[in-house]
Amino acid sequence: MYDVCIIGSGAGGSPIAYELANAGFNVVVLEKGENYTESDFNKDEIGVTRRDMFTPPLNEQKHIINEYKADGTFTRYDGEKSGWNFWNGSLVGGSSNLMSGYFHRLKPNDFKLKSVYGEIKGANVVDWPISYEDLEPYYDKVEKVVGVSGKIVKHKQQEPRSSAGFPYPELQTNGATKWFDVACKELNYEFIPTPRAILSQNALGRNGCYYSNFCGSYGCASGAKGSGRAALLQKCNAKIITDAFVYKLESNDKKVTRAYYYTSHGIRHSVQAKIFVLSAQAIESSRLLLNSKNKYFPNGLANSSGELGKNLIFSAGGTGSGRFVFEKLTQKQQEELMQVGLFFNRSLQEWYDYKDKGKKYKGGTVDFLFEHQNLISRVMREVYNENGNLLWGDALKDKLHKRLTTSRMLTFEVFNDWLPTDKCFVGVDEKVKDKYGVHVGVINLYGHPHDLEVGEYLAKKSVKVLEKLGCEEISYDISAAPPPNLVAGGCRFGIDATKSVLDKNCKAHDLDNLYVSDASFMPTGGSVPYTWTIYANSFRIADVIKISLKEKL
Amino acid sequence: MIVNLRFRRTFLKAGFLSSAVFLMDGCSLFGITTPIDTISVMHKDLFPEARHLGITTNSYMYIVFSHPRISEKDKIFLKNGVKWLNEEALKMYKRTYTKLSSPQRQKVLEYVTQIEWGDSFVYDVMNYMFEAMLGDPVYGGNNHEAGWKWLNFQGGQPRPKKAFL
Ligand SMILES: Cc1cc2nc3c(=O)[nH]c(=O)nc-3n(C[C@H](O)[C@H](O)[C@H](O)COP(=O)(O)OP(=O)(O)OC[C@H]3O[C@@H](n4cnc5c(N)ncnc54)[C@H](O)[C@@H]3O)c2cc1C
Ligand code: SF4
Repeated sequence: MYDVCIIGSGAGGSPIAYELANAGFNVVVLEKGENYTESDFNKDEIGVTRRDMFTPPLNEQKHIINEYKADGTFTRYDGEKSGWNFWNGSLVGGSSNLMSGYFHRLKPNDFKLKSVYGEIKGANVVDWPISYEDLEPYYDKVEKVVGVSGKIVKHKQQEPRSSAGFPYPELQTNGATKWFDVACKELNYEFIPTPRAILSQNALGRNGCYYSNFCGSYGCASGAKGSGRAALLQKCNAKIITDAFVYKLESNDKKVTRAYYYTSHGIRHSVQAKIFVLSAQAIESSRLLLNSKNKYFPNGLANSSGELGKNLIFSAGGTGSGRFVFEKLTQKQQEELMQVGLFFNRSLQEWYDYKDKGKKYKGGTVDFLFEHQNLISRVMREVYNENGNLLWGDALKDKLHKRLTTSRMLTFEVFNDWLPTDKCFVGVDEKVKDKYGVHVGVINLYGHPHDLEVGEYLAKKSVKVLEKLGCEEISYDISAAPPPNLVAGGCRFGIDATKSVLDKNCKAHDLDNLYVSDASFMPTGGSVPYTWTIYANSFRIADVIKISLKEKL
Repeated sequence: MIVNLRFRRTFLKAGFLSSAVFLMDGCSLFGITTPIDTISVMHKDLFPEARHLGITTNSYMYIVFSHPRISEKDKIFLKNGVKWLNEEALKMYKRTYTKLSSPQRQKVLEYVTQIEWGDSFVYDVMNYMFEAMLGDPVYGGNNHEAGWKWLNFQGGQPRPKKAFL
């Protein structure tokens, strides 16, 4: 019997494996995807981003998606037929291999949204059962163990830190970044260098970033990116079983007793452990618990509260862009603009918290970055003319050449809270099954109108920077469309066992030996991408499990 | 059971590109073409620059039609698009698309891209054509990175050693 069995090897699972295996415990990780090392990763745009080589094919595994309107009616989409894909990365290390590593901590007020900003009608906002101070040492640990690079600058939204600076210096930035800094100063905006989960130099037994130009969506061939695989799983001796799709957890009334999994050939296996840690990413973790219902837990494992799957959240917000064109730049500036590989790495958090018309709002973060280098995608965005008609032949040739060689798009991404509501939750479909014969997850989606209001506010502020920079074709799009890769909730943590699935240590209220360590625990998401918080919280849970295992010895 | 299903799908796909598409007008048979013939000519019409750069894009369509990651729905749509494009060609000029003169083919393209299916179909054809032209040379197009050089694009390192099929 293992001491610990971890289900899913991504950002939520890997810190537990690292900590407990390095503390001498017998740890097994069950991962449905394959294992890769640095030497396996490459920059094949077709394979990685167009044929989705790191995610399951939708004709084998999919979701059912119900998109809700305010009146409670919804439209049902079959993931396979519609192509609506909620998979993010099935491989050892999970989607943390493919992330861009824009890393922001939550801020103290994110832990007490209800107390600080009050109730919002139609939203299930609650305070967290822990505070920023509880998590701070673990944010700090992530900086050092996973590796976060950056530079601390004084600004009014800076959260308290126990270490003065980041352990790794800022990554190199593109020449155009300094134009941004000037524009912000003129606008009186406080900008910050974006912290990144990327090593700017060789450290921790990994190579520094070589500015490969293809970071987000691609595996890192140097080990610089702080994936759970490169930073943690490759640095411990936890046993990793790949091609292991966990479809059921068996339990009695107090404990999980076994995890059952299928290989891709449909062969069934099981694992016994003292402690089980679930980290299959938010939607799949809820799905597995719902599919594990038994006579003790007829509504889903650990679901005596009826809260399992509820209050699913994403990162709300949207994107905007503007284009630098050669005509407005000197030759030197043109050269600077076209430097590839180097990062833009600027963020605005000035309106993480703001007042509008006398009302206090929780705002968010805006990250600025160049348009992704994916060439085929950039070309396909040019095939229509301004009237919406397809171009081809010489007209397309001339447009492509001009746009791709004499201009470059700067984009921004807005992150604000996706308010938890009754209409946004995970279920399982009673009829539809995946290739393993297991009921697929149902994703019920609803974006609260408040999210759009805040997103608009942040986008309008951000657009001003693009205007100041002299960009052309400035536009933005704030919408309720969920980013599938930035997902949380479904197994809220809380003090009250009748209103939450997990306790404050992310152990199921109902079971003595089941923990959930991905973003499922988050009752509210904060206004940043989640991964730094997932890592930090998972290190926190690892400490709790360590104590619990030592007591059992 | 899973393995069996895979085999069946592969079997279905094999003949897709070269199998005949029968073109009917009401109840009479007007002509026969194959998707590969029509799509090859479309590539020339849509982006002649590829050939000037020494890049062959049409053979990449064999990869597209046999790729397990491209859905049957998308493949059937491409094949139907070939059929509908040819039927429009027949209606307009009484000959299949490949047998028309270049200006006539341009007229057919102009006409169909104003219709919803035609716009989506031509977009899809271009999408795969640009994958061939601007994807990694390991896929058989983008001869000596000519497509990348044309757009001053450096590609990302490391490059794939083999195509993801
Ligand atoms: C392109 C991209 C860019 C991103 N950029 C950023 C960014 O800049 N900043 C940021 O903070 N975040 C970013 N993210 C998000 C980040 O990757 C996730 O927040 C993080 O990886 C989530 O951790 P997780 O453990 O919940 O899930 P994952 O890391 O995805 O790990 C879940 C693992 O569980 C496995 N699994 C699922 N179900 C089962 C099962 N039943 N049995 C066995 N194994 C199972 C999966 O195969 C997967 O490997 C990005 C993600 C993507 C895809
Ligand atoms: S080398 Fe740098 S830019 Fe490239 S994937 Fe790794 S972290 Fe990202």
